Amino acid sequence: MISSAYAATEGHAQSSGLPQFDSSVFASQIFWTVVSFMVLMYLLQRYVIPAINDILDSRGKKISEDLQNAEKARQEAERVLAGYREQVERARQMASATLEEARLEASAIREHALADLTEELAKKKASAVEEIERVRQRAMEEVRDAAVEIAMLATEKLIAKTVTKAKAEEMVKGAVDHLEQNKASLH
Amino acid sequence: MESLPASFIGMGLAAAGLAGSGIGLGFMFGKAIEAFARQPGAEAQLSKYVWIGAAFVEAIALYGLVLAFIIMGKG
Amino acid sequence: MLLTTTAISVEAAQAAAAAAPRMDPLHHFQVVKYVQMAPLGLDISVSNSVVWMWISIAAVFFFFRYAFRQPALVPGRLQSVAEAGYLFIRGIVDENIGAGGKPYFPMVFTLFFFVLFCNWTGLIPGSFTATSQLIVTATLALGIFFLSIFLGFYKHGLKFLGFFVPSGLPVLLLPLMVPIEIISFLARPVSLSVRLFANMTAGHTVLGVLFFFSATLPWIGSWLPFGFSVVFTAVEIFIGFIQAYIFTILTCVYINDSLHLHH
Repeated sequence: MISSAYAATEGHAQSSGLPQFDSSVFASQIFWTVVSFMVLMYLLQRYVIPAINDILDSRGKKISEDLQNAEKARQEAERVLAGYREQVERARQMASATLEEARLEASAIREHALADLTEELAKKKASAVEEIERVRQRAMEEVRDAAVEIAMLATEKLIAKTVTKAKAEEMVKGAVDHLEQNKASLH
Repeated sequence: MESLPASFIGMGLAAAGLAGSGIGLGFMFGKAIEAFARQPGAEAQLSKYVWIGAAFVEAIALYGLVLAFIIMGKG
Repeated sequence: MLLTTTAISVEAAQAAAAAAPRMDPLHHFQVVKYVQMAPLGLDISVSNSVVWMWISIAAVFFFFRYAFRQPALVPGRLQSVAEAGYLFIRGIVDENIGAGGKPYFPMVFTLFFFVLFCNWTGLIPGSFTATSQLIVTATLALGIFFLSIFLGFYKHGLKFLGFFVPSGLPVLLLPLMVPIEIISFLARPVSLSVRLFANMTAGHTVLGVLFFFSATLPWIGSWLPFGFSVVFTAVEIFIGFIQAYIFTILTCVYINDSLHLHH
């Protein structure tokens, strides 16, 4: 349009209104407008509109198919999920059963061990008591022998006469019996 | 030759009708903006009609312009 | 002596006036016949208007063919645009004609893209806007007008005349209202054609004026009209679309009035 603005500078002195109102060019433009419109309509109807319709239809079909597939996949996934949940539930039950079993076993073992330990302790205690008793007996005998000895020597020195062994033993026995009777107070 | 100045005056008068279209456009866009301010959610729906209305109002002005051109041809 | 000098000076003044740039923004609406043809008295001369009409329809057709050269389910950019145009027109038809609008879809589709591409190709510098010719838009508008009349009588017979009688009016007002209705009906093709033609003419005239100024002003001032012309070209693209849209919508409304008759 710049060029036409320049072209306007040459000649063209008389402006006679809008060129659009010049009726000498009407007939040809009417004809060609009608023809061009018809041709374009034919071409679009023949080649373009069916193509667009096809593609839109197939896209609609594709989309609905995809939706169906998606629905199917969702159902499948739900099914799998349900199966999985069931498996998990089963595994949990199994685990808790195993746990219970283990707990029972552990408590059995503990009780067993406790019993063993108690028994052993009792045995040890018994043997220790026995040992103590034996040592005490021996000590007692030694004390008695020493006492007899000392009594004999003391008596010899005091009364300067020999006490018979039988007499001495009788006397010691009497002393030891006395000791035996007061054992509780000795300990 | 006397008709030439008269035709220029006539063209001016015909084109003065454009003022009405200006008032109309101002009203229309003013009201449209008011409406958008009240209901921003409706903007997408309303703006379509705003543009259609703008084209209609503008066309009225152009009738005056066409009249001016016709007078230009007669002068 | 005196005479000759005055004659020379007048001549010089005329030459200077002719050489000076002269603003004529209406020049590019001038229809130039390239080939004069009139077989059987029918004038089918090929003018610049006609050539650009052909270019426009070729552009529409090849645009769609190119966009759908390999139709894909997942559309590319161009295919999306073409499909959006298709769905846009289908939306207009469904919205304004509704039931029974399907047979008119190809016509409405063609009409929209014909007008749109004529509007847009006119914005190419050096081109010609076919829709800026009153006779072109009038041909389209009259075609639609007669189509709507034909459809009205074809679908409803003489009952179509009831279209001019507004319902729910007192009988006394009828002599006043019926002529008004008839006149407004007859004004339809006029307003339809003049709206499109005047929009295109006015827009291109403004563009012509701006281009003239940007071409003739010294550089210090020419950037302003040039910048305006850039902005206004964008506005013209928008107006070209809006006008095609309105032309299409009104076509649908007129067809709908004839098909469904409720007024």
